[in-house]
Amino acid sequence: EVRLLRRQTKTTLEVSLLEKYPCSKFIIAIGNNAVAFLSSFIMNSGVWEEAGCAKLWNEWCRTVDTTHLSPTEAFCVFYHLKSNPSVVLCQCSCYVAEDQQYQWLEKVFGSCPRKNMQVTILTCRHVTDYKTSESTSSLHTPFLKALKTQNFREPPCCSLLEQPNIVHDLPAAVLSYCQVWKISAILYLCYTDVMKLDLITVEAFKPVLSSRSLKSLVKNIPQSTEILKKLMTTNEIQSNIYT
Amino acid sequence: YDRAITVFSPDGHLFQVEYAQEAVQKGSTVVGIRGTDIVVLGVEKKSVAKLQDERTVRKICALDDHVCMAFAGLTADARVVISRARVECQSHKLTVEDPVTVEYITRFIATLKQKYTQSNGRRPFGISALIAGFDDDGIPRLYQTDPSGTYHAWKANAIGRSAKTVQEFLEKNYTEDAIANDSEAIKLAIRALLEVVQSGGKNIELAIIRRNQPLKMFSAKEIELQVNETGKEKEEAEKKKSKKTA
Repeated sequence: EVRLLRRQTKTTLEVSLLEKYPCSKFIIAIGNNAVAFLSSFIMNSGVWEEAGCAKLWNEWCRTVDTTHLSPTEAFCVFYHLKSNPSVVLCQCSCYVAEDQQYQWLEKVFGSCPRKNMQVTILTCRHVTDYKTSESTSSLHTPFLKALKTQNFREPPCCSLLEQPNIVHDLPAAVLSYCQVWKISAILYLCYTDVMKLDLITVEAFKPVLSSRSLKSLVKNIPQSTEILKKLMTTNEIQSNIYT
Repeated sequence: YDRAITVFSPDGHLFQVEYAQEAVQKGSTVVGIRGTDIVVLGVEKKSVAKLQDERTVRKICALDDHVCMAFAGLTADARVVISRARVECQSHKLTVEDPVTVEYITRFIATLKQKYTQSNGRRPFGISALIAGFDDDGIPRLYQTDPSGTYHAWKANAIGRSAKTVQEFLEKNYTEDAIANDSEAIKLAIRALLEVVQSGGKNIELAIIRRNQPLKMFSAKEIELQVNETGKEKEEAEKKKSKKTA
């Protein structure tokens, strides 16, 4: 069961999120590396107001207080830019199970979504899932691949995902939904060999900053790199495994 | 070939051992320098959480009065190896009435590590160690072991994160002059560490071992002093350089 809550009142949203906050740009980060990327490079460039959060009934998603979120926690929060409320961001670092994906889509996009918005999805996958006829020693992980819907006209920021590779989980659900509803959407998938929060993986998303939807949202790259480093070190200090 | 440690891959790799060496890269940098009358071990202190007692996070430990070691990698594995090595040092003293030679204890640790690369169900130790000390003949020794169970003697080496950078620095700067006396060797260790340690002296821990003397850990003040001196010398050297070119 998926419920969307408004933060301020903690009540359930009666309509779908994008009906309540219609947007022209919807950027979704799924997974802790993608979330860290948006937190450091996009969210520091303006004032983002929380539009709501999703509560999922499954053992992996425990949405706690959403004021100080670290990318290692499991949450699904939506933000919109105060200066331009038609830009909506979703930070989703929790697992959305298969039987919850349709509900999530309905609660977020609604049953009849607007067609004139552009959706950008960022996510990661382990490189062992990547099928290629090339030798694996020639792959330089992490690397970026893109998959887009028919209505997406811009050139992508990296090469397209080749067959027979497929996309899984929530990113696949969102992309399929957009394809069916003829929404312009693109998924940037980062294949990496480190599945936990990792600096090099997060930085592999950088080419996406030159895309049309994100270009206007990027303000201060050196500051973003600092913020990212801080996120990483706070994460590392907690771990006492390596000395 | 990933799963069971005892399986070779078709091209002759033992992947678990190679992955264990990756675990070593996750530990903070350790540098060891063998001088003429001194062996210096310098480590980059791991940043500790606010409420954590700093003294319980130690990378440099004494194995016996005349041998010490510093490690990089999995903390828990290091603890086990160190305690076995310490027991072996005393057992050797009791059995043959002589303290261990640095080479003996290094060989013991390396053999222990190698055993864990060959038994089924056990994974290799994820640490590399720099073992330093003096033998009865008064010659300083520095050895390095790695997860595969090999050991080699070194004049100077570095392990852990950014070890390559430090190794390159040492290759360029380890000269007879650089280790002419004890304080020069200490300064070389500090300069090597400063190549990779951010935020300078307060993140460095230093220890020295001298002939017939036990391991000496430097206090924070002493380290600061050394770092400042090194900084001053660097500035003067740069001034001289710019004067020459001007």
